[in-house]
Amino acid sequence: MSKMLLEAKELHTYYGASHILHGIDFHIRQGEGIALMGRNGMGKTTLIKSLLGIVRPRHGRVMVCGDDFTKAPTYRIAQRGIAYVPEGRGIFPNLSVRENLQMAARAGVDGQREWTFERVMATFPRLGERINNGGWQLSGGEQQMLTIGRALMTNPDLLILDEATEGLAPLIALEIWRIVKEIRKTGIATMIVDKNHSAVTSICDRAMILVKGEVVFDGDSETVRDNPELIQKYLGV
Amino acid sequence: MKKALRIIHEEHRALAAMLGGLRQLVEGIEKGRMKADFGLIGAMIEYIDKLPEKVHHPKENDYLFARLRTRCAEALPVIERLEADHRRGEARIRALEAAADVFRQGGEIAFPAFHAEVLRYIEEEWKHMNAEEHEIFPLAEKHLQDEDWAAIEAAFVANDNPWEGAAGEYAQLFSKIVNLAPPPIGLGPGG
Repeated sequence: MSKMLLEAKELHTYYGASHILHGIDFHIRQGEGIALMGRNGMGKTTLIKSLLGIVRPRHGRVMVCGDDFTKAPTYRIAQRGIAYVPEGRGIFPNLSVRENLQMAARAGVDGQREWTFERVMATFPRLGERINNGGWQLSGGEQQMLTIGRALMTNPDLLILDEATEGLAPLIALEIWRIVKEIRKTGIATMIVDKNHSAVTSICDRAMILVKGEVVFDGDSETVRDNPELIQKYLGV
Repeated sequence: MKKALRIIHEEHRALAAMLGGLRQLVEGIEKGRMKADFGLIGAMIEYIDKLPEKVHHPKENDYLFARLRTRCAEALPVIERLEADHRRGEARIRALEAAADVFRQGGEIAFPAFHAEVLRYIEEEWKHMNAEEHEIFPLAEKHLQDEDWAAIEAAFVANDNPWEGAAGEYAQLFSKIVNLAPPPIGLGPGG
């Protein structure tokens, strides 16, 4: 069985008095792809933030590669090979495309440097054409590509994409999915949150559905894709 | 939804995204917001030609329609109508291509005819896809048996790649379109 990258046990997370995550167990192994699904407000982003130390769970444990990281700062989790592409992108608008990428460059946990600047350019040729443009000059699709490219420059073992295609035109969204599929083929584990259920379930091998901060389904993504009752019941589409 | 029907639905979505992009482009040209980039128009028509003709329609004709034909007499008129659409597909895409060529050579004066041809093509495609999803899909789900689905799915799963082609042969063409198309359609230079 492949190496456990990220694991959570009995996570309870609150925003003030609001109890958001109700005892979530989670794990993702090397090379695995997980579609994290659920309607708006069900706790998907909170789960990601809890796993990454951006929001502190009140109870439970977070393990990275078997070590306890429950109280570790986010940068230490990132240093263990976990890259996060947040909702809303978050590039540096005053830095050029090149600078945005170069500032993220580092070797992976095992010293791997498979994702070089040149490889990112080859994966996102459009970024090459905008290399000296400032982040603020990029379109939404270009910003998304830059954010993913920047995450890859850290040579991660796990890439987390939160609403990667939100607000993008259909053709651009399809292009992002094509690239994510290519990234998956390189063996990087991937956790994806997106409203396009059929796209995420076709890219990921596992699906996890959250309802009101609890896991109501954790299984292979084909089961979700081929089960309209399940989709209707928990995802409401 | 059965896996084979889901694959058809996904292919419809990919085709609809491309048709939507083409519609936005001609509307942008009409309003003077976008340039008539004939490289892009040609690539979009090539994609619309190749994906349905080489990947999508053969799967429907040879597997789904063929099996349903033997199981459900009620489906026959619809299947015949849709197969006739498929047969006309080649001529329709050639007409679109010809209209684009006339526009390229004739300039602005030839644009209205191209615009009309694009809208006609898109409308017919929408009608066709709707008929498949709203008339054929329910009949298939009702009348096809497990052995039919097994045979159909075996053929479809081997070609489960809705917008790139089974071996990714259209991926490059797709990326080229996205990188040429002006915002908000794609990532290309502004209109």
